[in-house]
Amino acid sequence: MNNVYLPTVAQLVNVCDETPDTKTFTLRFREQGNGNHFHFLPGQFFELSVFGYGEAPFCIASSPTRPDTFETTVRRTGQLTDALHRLGNGEEVGVRGPFGNGFDLEAARGKDLLFVGGGIGLPPLRSLIWNVLDEREKFGKVTILYGARTPTDLVYKQELQEWGKRPDVEFHVTVDVADTSWTGNVGVVPILFEKTTLHPESTLAYVCGPPIMIRFVVRDLFVRGFKEEAVISTLERMMQCGIGKCNHCAIGHRYVCRDGPVFNYGQIKELVE
Amino acid sequence: MQPITLTLQKRDGTQWLEKLLSLGEVIAPVHGSGEDVIFSTAACADAVLWDFVNPLHPPKRIVLPQTDPLVKIKDNGQGHEVEPIYDDAPRILFNARSCDAKGIAFLTRMHEMEPADESYLRRALRLTVISLACTAPCPLGFCVCTNSGPFLSDGYDVQLTDLGENYLVEVASQKGHATVSCAPSLFRPATESEIAQRKRLEAEARNHFGEETCHFASAMRRVSTGRVSDALWQRISDWCLECGACNFVCPTCYCFSVKDLGRNGGWVRCRMWDSCQYTAFTLEASGHNPRPERKERMKRRFFHKVSAQYYQRDAMVGCVGCGRCIKACLGTTSMPAVVNAIRKGKWNE
Repeated sequence: MNNVYLPTVAQLVNVCDETPDTKTFTLRFREQGNGNHFHFLPGQFFELSVFGYGEAPFCIASSPTRPDTFETTVRRTGQLTDALHRLGNGEEVGVRGPFGNGFDLEAARGKDLLFVGGGIGLPPLRSLIWNVLDEREKFGKVTILYGARTPTDLVYKQELQEWGKRPDVEFHVTVDVADTSWTGNVGVVPILFEKTTLHPESTLAYVCGPPIMIRFVVRDLFVRGFKEEAVISTLERMMQCGIGKCNHCAIGHRYVCRDGPVFNYGQIKELVE
Repeated sequence: MQPITLTLQKRDGTQWLEKLLSLGEVIAPVHGSGEDVIFSTAACADAVLWDFVNPLHPPKRIVLPQTDPLVKIKDNGQGHEVEPIYDDAPRILFNARSCDAKGIAFLTRMHEMEPADESYLRRALRLTVISLACTAPCPLGFCVCTNSGPFLSDGYDVQLTDLGENYLVEVASQKGHATVSCAPSLFRPATESEIAQRKRLEAEARNHFGEETCHFASAMRRVSTGRVSDALWQRISDWCLECGACNFVCPTCYCFSVKDLGRNGGWVRCRMWDSCQYTAFTLEASGHNPRPERKERMKRRFFHKVSAQYYQRDAMVGCVGCGRCIKACLGTTSMPAVVNAIRKGKWNE
């Protein structure tokens, strides 16, 4: 029996500023030997300990196709994330996981994929996006729509440019409020649907972002003919244990940590508080 | 192991307890300060009570302490060391009432579910539960409605029944067997008539529960299908003071949070009791709270305890009928009151 609460010590091998309050942390197990990698699926999450502050769940933002290290993107919003933001290269944290169901990659095979992200909702999608791009031949058309409040709030700025340049990716980005340097789209994420042609019958749509954005994006997708089963999102809840024991993330008799966090809209509709 | 049924003469009870005290910590109902009866470590055989009203706090903290150390974390200068903390001390829970034995069995089944919780299970595996069947209902109990008393058919290692001159000793497990085999001279096989007497006592005890019990079945139907109006949840929660007492005195409540506590220059990661009735139980870092209102949290509590969905998973309702929530609640939201309101579709004014 493995102790389910025992974290594995990992080191921060890179810390990168994304926005004024958001950083991406690259982690690697301290005792990383042969095969002692972090094995996960895109869409899964892990429990990150900042020793002395406790632990909290964060989504894995990197792709399992790049297994040497793994990444997570965290906004500074409380005691634990504040303490995490103070840590730098070489410092140690604890890792438990991975937990949750993750995205179903097999179901996505051969399909066209539409990613719709808002603000800090891009990290869980990024794990799947890079997984798809690293195995590009297995999938159909890839469309990425992303938006944030202001140009400063966009995460992975370098990669957004890279996606914009790739011939095998259709990429559109928008901001709610532009600044003087911004020459691109202005408006909320759903305006980007006008820039692209969607094929609901052959497409899976992955939607992550703030609740208000999800509501409007999903409504638009249904209007455009997407079926509930083809619209996939990840749910967020207050979590402690990550393994379906502590009951913080329960919705009815389902647990976001164990039955989710990835659900399609058919499933989400059946979740009863 | 085949269950065996023995008889112990009442006057040998003390001698048996003295033997058990030499095997490990014996936790039993004892007098606390003042008039209170509490579950605590018995200092000597005479301290153990045989005739008592069940203490307000169940013995759940033996297997699930309020602050339960899980992992030791230390920074040794070169880096962090983490190691699990286990509690392997052998313990005997003596004279627990049927409801409390069943409560511990419920907690153990829940912690055995994949992924199994080793911290809990190692403690529970070393615990021997010796229960004392109830030959009369306690003032607030309704265990007949939850299949957790007054007598048990499972969930104990040893079950004692007061037969007047003797105790009937039903031994159901290897752990239970160890507690009688350490004093073989005190026990003799039970006679047919003693076993018949136990059956009679159980039937009599069942008959003594009044009509004012707790009818789960129709409440379960309504809770499971969401057929309890918002207005009724609102009314039910009107007198909830969000103190969490119902959770903390409940033998089956186990929700928890995890925190790091500073200890000896390092930290101990602890699991701590939490309450689904607190606002912050579901409060997310973003500020979003899916259950901001008391009625929603009340609904959650009773869904977890009474719904068919959880009944299917746990093979019992999340209640052992001990009646502690009736006593602990400063308002009016005890299990029987809420089940009754749900069943009737209105609050009993």
